[in-house]
Amino acid sequence: MTTTHRKLISRRGLMKTAALGGASTLFAPSLIGRAFAQDSFPSRALQVLIPISEGGGVDRSARAFNAAWGPSLGVGFEYSYFPGASGQVGYETYMGRRDADAYNLLFGAIGPEMIMYATQNPGYTFPDDYVYFAGVNADDSVIWVAENSPFQTLEDLIEEGQSRRVNFSGSRLPHPSSIAVFLLAEATGANFNVVPYGGGNAARSAAITGEVDACCTFMSSSLSVADQVRFLTVFQDENQIPHLTDDARPANDILGTDFPALDGLRAYAIHRAAIEAHPERYQILKDTIAETMESGRYEEATVAAGLSPDFNVFRNEEECTRSAMQFIELANRFEHLLRDA
Amino acid sequence: MTLELLVEIFLGAASYWWLILIATTVGIIIGAIPGFGAQNTIIMLLPFTLAVPVEMALTFMVAIYVASHMGSGIPAILLNIPGTGGAAATTIDGYPMAQKGMAQQALVLTFVASTLGGFITSFITIFTIGYLAQIAFYLHSVEMVVIMLFGITLIAVIAAKDPLKGLISGVIGLLIGAIGADHIYSAPRATFGFLELYEGMPIIPALIGLFAISEALVMLENRSMLSAEGRERMLKAGWRETGEGIRMALKRWTHITWTSVIGLVVGAVPGAGASIGAFVAYQQSRLYSKTPEAYGTGHPEGIIAPEAANNGVASGSLIPLLVLAVPGGTTAAVMLVVLSYHGVPLGPRLFVEDPGLAYGVFATMVLSYLIMMVTILPMSRYLSRVTLVGTTILAPIIIGFTLVGAFSPRAYIFDMGVALSFGVLGYIMRKTGYHVVAMLIGIILGPLLEANFMRALRLSGGEYSVFFGSNIGNVLWLMLLASILFPIYSNWRRKREREARG
Repeated sequence: MTTTHRKLISRRGLMKTAALGGASTLFAPSLIGRAFAQDSFPSRALQVLIPISEGGGVDRSARAFNAAWGPSLGVGFEYSYFPGASGQVGYETYMGRRDADAYNLLFGAIGPEMIMYATQNPGYTFPDDYVYFAGVNADDSVIWVAENSPFQTLEDLIEEGQSRRVNFSGSRLPHPSSIAVFLLAEATGANFNVVPYGGGNAARSAAITGEVDACCTFMSSSLSVADQVRFLTVFQDENQIPHLTDDARPANDILGTDFPALDGLRAYAIHRAAIEAHPERYQILKDTIAETMESGRYEEATVAAGLSPDFNVFRNEEECTRSAMQFIELANRFEHLLRDA
Repeated sequence: MTLELLVEIFLGAASYWWLILIATTVGIIIGAIPGFGAQNTIIMLLPFTLAVPVEMALTFMVAIYVASHMGSGIPAILLNIPGTGGAAATTIDGYPMAQKGMAQQALVLTFVASTLGGFITSFITIFTIGYLAQIAFYLHSVEMVVIMLFGITLIAVIAAKDPLKGLISGVIGLLIGAIGADHIYSAPRATFGFLELYEGMPIIPALIGLFAISEALVMLENRSMLSAEGRERMLKAGWRETGEGIRMALKRWTHITWTSVIGLVVGAVPGAGASIGAFVAYQQSRLYSKTPEAYGTGHPEGIIAPEAANNGVASGSLIPLLVLAVPGGTTAAVMLVVLSYHGVPLGPRLFVEDPGLAYGVFATMVLSYLIMMVTILPMSRYLSRVTLVGTTILAPIIIGFTLVGAFSPRAYIFDMGVALSFGVLGYIMRKTGYHVVAMLIGIILGPLLEANFMRALRLSGGEYSVFFGSNIGNVLWLMLLASILFPIYSNWRRKREREARG
């Protein structure tokens, strides 16, 4: 097989990287200090439960961040995946079948999963039973059309929606980008219809192949089809990567609206009971994450994982909770569209 | 596509012959073990595929992928246990043929149909990939509903001897397929509080229970899975039977070609899978056969059709990934992760910037099939000896292995319980004359049919006329109608001829 894009990694290079990684883990000053001072937490690998399938965006984000966080903690990570029912399977498993000992963490996407929480009435309570304490990556909702679509701008799409039903493909209804379309329809009076395709790939395919008029989804997952689509808008204060997304402007700028940021903040969550029973462990988790953010390792690890560092952020517990509560409110507001009557 | 480029891509792919040899061997083995698919294996080997050059990673993934499709037919024939859903249709004729002591011929038919079908379709794809990618632009939810119905009509075919029992099996299968989150609102239905059922009834454990465990229980009632005559024949079998299998397959090369093309077309639609391709190919094969009554009794064409088709699907399912940057199935989705990591520009840009890599995928497929033809064909003589092993040894091994297979895709103990429950259900069905394949068709195709049906309705704002609003859809409806009426007409005509002859 021939290719013009070669990214060769030599055996020697790999060994060198492994040796450097091992050395930095062994001799990291923060780790040595903590090992003696903090009753050796963590003394074993952290268990990371991911409520989405292996190999997806959330999984890759978790692994990229953990590659940078590991040296600060001095231990590795073990992953388990419990996809299903928009994340409910993973959350129910975490709340009901994982020890609240600060070794068990959940890594999820706040936006989609809080909409699920609000619409599906699961058997746990937020924020009484668990809290999000560190958001490390944020993906923004976008609307795009296929390259050959007659719609050049968001205004074109809205104008069309005022005369007929305009179909949007989405991965599922309980999703921030679906809510973005609901908000848009509410603000403009357009007849917008979100059709869930059960996954991002199928949703993108439907828009590219012309089964629907447009696609509402997250930005990072759309970059693989950027050549074939035209980005119309983004639901965030500003477009993080305008050069890769046709300089698409934020919906609020175009329409003069005041839509909240409709993002998928990927964040770590922990049992509330673990915080109460082991406050010192919780503090170590937060301190090491802050240290990781300052070290610059996260950006390096993101690039090494083949991801864009443009989506890296840091949100603390308070900011994460605010984002979560905002999505609960939005989901309740649009409950009539998100749940079967 | 210039001749120079064609030679270059084949030479490039051939330079990895040693990797293809390793990967196809691994792929055949994992394909043959129910529950261990190409997707899981590629995920497990992600650190390897991310660390090596992209050409090597892609060669490895593609070879494993195509080989797993072929491997899944082996247990379907020898033990009535399909390795994956794509081989479920192979059991209908494969196992009866093995029971007659013709396991070796059946395996050879599978191998030749798979390799030839895969070879033909990957070669076709190299020259027509641009046109094949267009299929995704014409087959949308409405058209997919009709295609699913082609597969579902197989229930009626299977139930020909006892329509009521067949219908009951199929309907129960469809109802089981409706368990889990609904396709529009993601609200759980009929899960009885089991979290593990929120994503629907897991196919692999259900398949393992219905086929493997129930078959193992049936096996234990006899000392051998072969008839006395079949055992006699197997004991005498040698290389001659391999030759006979090759002759049987090559004589039907046109059949292999057109059924593999059905698989290719179905595979090119994002989201359609090997199961649909194989069931539709089997249904079409039987429909146009001069001896439809021979199907289900160990008919060679009943083995060839699903096997050629599921390998055709393997070629087709990579087209959306490369041309549209949208993976057509779960294995292709993992490949997308690897290719993105390596910075490969997928979509139309790939064919401009890196045509060697794009076409190289299919050159690797062609070579994988050639290599498998050489490595696996001689093995059929030895693999077929499995049918001579006593059932008291075979049955416990099957149950043990397949329970691990039921556990492995999701790592839920619950799934082992599902497999055991379906095992008991399958055993009762077999003993009372209900057909497990009819139920499996319902379980596999039911959710896909419902998802496309509901989506089409939502697109149209609840207008049922949407199902008759597209030209391609209407042509497919007519073809479906013809495929239902044609056998009825043929039977009527044959009956009339018999009566006329007195």
